[in-house]
This record gives sequence, structure tokens and C-alpha cells, in this order.
Amino acid sequence: MIELTNLTKIFNLSGDSRDKKVALDHVNLKINDGEFVTIIGSNGSGKTTTMNLIAGTYKPTEGEISLSGMPISHMEEFRRAKYFGRVFQDPRMGTTGEMSVLENLEIAYRRGKHHSPIRWGFSSETVRDYFISQVKQFDLGLEDRMNQKVGRMSGGQRQALTLLMAANDSRIDTRREFIQMNYDVASGPLNIELRNETDKAKQKEIKNKLKALKKECAEKAGKFYDEAKAEHARKVTKTSTPEEKLAGLVELSNKLHDYNGDRKILLLDEHTAALDPKTAKKVLELTDKIVRTKKLTTLMITHNMKDALTYGDRLIMFHHGHILHDISGKAKAKLTVDDLLKMFQEAGE
Amino acid sequence: MDIILNILSSGLPCVLLALGIFLTYRILDFADLTAEGSFLIGAAISAVMIFNGLNPWLATLAAFLGGCLCGVVTGVLNRYLKIPKLLSGIITMTAAASIAMLVMGAKDGNSSIFASTISFTNIVKGEGPQTIYSLCYPWQFNDIANRWMPVAPWAEIIKVAIMLGVVLVVMFGIYFFFGTEYGMAIRATGLNENMANSQGINANISTIVCVAIANGLIALGGSLYVQDVKTVSTVSAAGYLVVGLASILIGEAIFGKRSFKNWIISVALGSIIYFVIVTVATRLGLPTELKSLLYAALITIALCLPLIKSGFKKLFHIRQDIPGEAR
Repeated sequence: MIELTNLTKIFNLSGDSRDKKVALDHVNLKINDGEFVTIIGSNGSGKTTTMNLIAGTYKPTEGEISLSGMPISHMEEFRRAKYFGRVFQDPRMGTTGEMSVLENLEIAYRRGKHHSPIRWGFSSETVRDYFISQVKQFDLGLEDRMNQKVGRMSGGQRQALTLLMAANDSRIDTRREFIQMNYDVASGPLNIELRNETDKAKQKEIKNKLKALKKECAEKAGKFYDEAKAEHARKVTKTSTPEEKLAGLVELSNKLHDYNGDRKILLLDEHTAALDPKTAKKVLELTDKIVRTKKLTTLMITHNMKDALTYGDRLIMFHHGHILHDISGKAKAKLTVDDLLKMFQEAGE
Repeated sequence: MDIILNILSSGLPCVLLALGIFLTYRILDFADLTAEGSFLIGAAISAVMIFNGLNPWLATLAAFLGGCLCGVVTGVLNRYLKIPKLLSGIITMTAAASIAMLVMGAKDGNSSIFASTISFTNIVKGEGPQTIYSLCYPWQFNDIANRWMPVAPWAEIIKVAIMLGVVLVVMFGIYFFFGTEYGMAIRATGLNENMANSQGINANISTIVCVAIANGLIALGGSLYVQDVKTVSTVSAAGYLVVGLASILIGEAIFGKRSFKNWIISVALGSIIYFVIVTVATRLGLPTELKSLLYAALITIALCLPLIKSGFKKLFHIRQDIPGEAR
């Protein structure tokens, strides 16, 4: 769950008052797990600012962003990267053109994890098989071009690859990382309590509770991790076929990620704007497929009214740094493009 | 034989220099002017340590670490104090000149730290200052070798062999490190910082690590160099940045950069070719005052080589292969 409270961003705050620009003005928003939200609004209305604030490109002037209760607004961008997958408008931004498809996928596979200076950068054959199986569902012929530089691909292929990198499950954690992740998620509600509590004695009580929770997490999650690993070791041995190894890897990965509930949040910033209509449609369909099958929480900015209506189950309209409309469920299903255009006109007046 | 050994003994330390500059300039896209400073620091540190009779291998290691420190300073200036890349390099380079003087304990910055040149024949085993080359010189072997081949410059050969050993170890080290998870993260930072950030890579740290390693290698080159020429002054590093840059450009233009492995080898060979050209030109009687002009011409030609190549192809109507599946 993402929660924005009183989120404000003012650019050029310290400079000349004429240069001051309020991009976001006390925005409150709550997005539930698994929701697919489309965001529309005219240029300069604060959509992209919101997304950049969530991802951490810059820090808010005021207000708080929390993720399942965990305050993140002062976390560095690279530190919160493990919770988010991003796709940018410019296909060149999300991938490294000078590296091969495989290398790009490897980097994404380790997002937010420890980068070892000793371990070889290319993971095992099984992980490679996993990448290939993921790429195959795109039907773009990428699976035969794994060792080619991404710079040689078309914009559509690059954007599809970025999408995959953003949505893919990351490497299976080490035992320590797994326990930490488990604690991060589990301590969310208590963290909110701690933030809202002013009484010193009660704060101490909550802190003690957090300590106990940490211990409990270490025990429970550690036990689960060991069992899952042991079971995996029983199923997959050195003599297993590549298919069995791949199935084992996916099973273990799903099991561990499900236990922690650390499904990623997908941030899509007009990711089809630079593509031709046919490719854009294909990439959007892929997006929808991935979001639905992986049950990802998704925020999608778009300027295409039709796409905003076709995809997603909630629609938010920004205007001058405020949320003007927030329509979900059946009301959204009834909306037409004309309604949206009317909304835009009303906002302009 | 003599000229080959001459080229190799002056070229191999510069391979390390070129590799160091390659790491910042090509991998990180960081025009790092610290190079001359760290080359000097490396030379000064190992010269002083050797002069005081410490183990030369220890002196070489200390030079590497000193260079790393220079790199860390440049990196911190750039990443945390937000000073532009070019300027932070210049700042460290300027500071390094002073520090090198302090290390050498010389006020006019010109006095030679090795009071006299150490000639190999006069070194007694285990006594007085030793360089890594003299340390590895098999003294027992000396008499036998001289009896067999009295004219062969054994000391020179051993020196070049040790240099070659160090260079090969470094090249393999670079190849391995930039293939590891962290090396990949550094490469991603250099190529697309935006992507690195959104993939959870701490761009500040990875930049500093890469600049530090690069400058460590440059200082290592300085250390090998000073143990060869046995004298160092604060001006002896001047012009080495150009040498390193020219090596990279020549290597890339001639041997290409198809894969990372290929790229490292290209840079190393480029450095050797550079010294072949310079040495041959000197032996043919090129006046000293025209040397800089030769360097400038070399860099220009190296930069224009792709253009010249395609021009030749057009001239002779050679069909250019359209880059298809693989380059």
C-alpha cells in the first residue's frame, strides 16, 4: 500500500520568489495493494512530479510517503529501488544501450541486492533459462538476441525489455536479506503507530514491541527460508534436467517472494508515448498481462484518454498540483472519452 | 634486441597508466585529470620508500594505495561536493604536486631523491636499496648466464619480464573485476546513471570506487617507472596524461573494441605502439623540440583513423558489410 500524506513539492524554493513553482500542493492519496491506477492530467499538473517523488528522484518539500506503513520519503533513490520498478518515457533511459540484453536483465535481477565484487556477474544457466522464458512471452524475437547490445534494438523492444526489468522478480535473497525484508514489511503498522505517538513512554513501549517483532521475524522467516531451501535442494539436484531446474527456481522464488509479500510496485511514466501506435498497443497489452498475472500495484501516467479508460481499475486526474478526480470501480467502467475531455475542459475554466 | 627492450621497459609502465585512464575515461565517462598527480605520487612514494631501504614490493603496494587515495579525493570532490569532474581532477592534481614534494622532502622540487643512479652490477644481494627488478634478479644465475651469453642484457630482460608480469596480472584483474556483479554495476553507472539509480546501485560509491582503482593503477605505473629510471622530480610526470590518452586512442583505432577483453588488450597494445613510434622517431634523429608536435600528430591521426579507413574503402570500392547479427 502506498500512502501519500500532505505531499508538497515546491521547485526553486530558496531562489527568487518569481521563480517559485508549486508543482504539488498537499496531495493525499492511498493506493491499495494490487491496484492498477491510471493517471491523467494536463502538462505541468504534477503527475510526473508525484511519480518522481515516490521513486525518490527528488525529495518532497513537505509531507510523507509511506509504503505499507514504512516512511520512505527521506530514503535515497537507490535504496528504495528494491520496492519499485520504473519505466520511463524515453526508451533509452531505462536500459543501458552499450550492454547486452542479458547483462541488463542481470542488473535488474539484482536490484536492491548486494553487488558482490567477487561473484561473477553472469548467474547460472538456470537463471539464464529463466530470463529466456520471460523474454519469450513478449514474442518480439528477443530470446535469440540475448547477447546483442540493447542499443541495436528498436524503441519498442527496448521499452518491452525495460518493462520486464521493472516487473521481474529479483534474485532470491540471502537468508539475512530475506529476514530483513520480512521485518520491513511486518513492522509497517507499528511504524505508523510510532510516528503518530507523541507520548514518550508509549513510544518506548512500541520500540520494545518492534524489537520483539524483529526477533520473531528472524526466527519465523529464518525457519521458513531454511525449509524452502531444503525442499528445493531435495527436488533439484545436480542431475536434474534444465527444465526441472528452471521450474524449481521459479517455485522457490515465488514461495519466498509470496511469503514476504514484497511484490513490486510498477511506475510507468508515459512509457508508450515515444512508440508508434502499433508498438504502443503491443507494449500496453504486455503491461496489462504482466500486471494482472503478477498482481502488481501499478501507477501509469498516460496522455492517451482511450488507454486511460481501457486499462486499470482506477483513474486519477491531476490539475495544478491537486487531485481533481478520483474514479474507481464501476464508475470508471462507465466513463467515456467524451466524459474525460469534458473533465479537462471544466478543469481549464 | 636492445631497442625492443628499450621500448618495452618504457612502454609497460605506461600500459598501466593507459589502463587507469581507460577505466575513468571510457568505462565511467569521467575525464579524470588526476592522472598526472597520481602518477607522480606513486613514483614519489615508492622512490622514498626504496631509498630508505624498505622492501620494494611493499613500496609498490604503497604507491598503489597512495594512488587510490588520490582517486577517492577526486571522487568525493565530484560526487559529494558537486564540483564538476574536470575541476575536481585539476584540484587533486594540483594538490598532489605539493604532497609529492612533501613526501620527497625536497623544497625546490627538483633535487633527485636517488642520490646516484643505482646500477644493477653494483647492487649487492640483500644490501642497500633494491628495486623489484633487482630483487628478483637471480644472483647465482648471474655467473652462469654471463658465462653462457656474456652479451645478453640479462638485467634488462628480467626487468621487462617483471613489468610484463605485473601488467598481465593487472589486465586479468581488470577483466575479472569488471565481469563481477559490482564491476557490472560500475559499468552501468558509467553508461547510464539514471538506470543505475533506478536499479538500486549507489552511483556515488561505485564512481568513487572506479576512480580510486583507476588512479591506483596509474600510481602503480608511476612506481614501475621510477624503479626503472631510478630518479624522480616533480616535473617528471608532466605530459603523461597525453601519453595515456594517445595510447587508448591508438589502440582503439587499430585493434578495435569489440568486447571488453578485446578492448583492454587494445589499450595495452596501443601504449606499446605509441612507444614504438616515439622510440623509432627519436632513433631516426627527431629533434627534441619536435617531440610534442609528434604526440599531437599521433593523437590526431588516431582520432581520424575510422574516417581514413572508410575513405580508403570508398576509394577502392570495397563493399562495406552491413552490420547484421554480429559486428
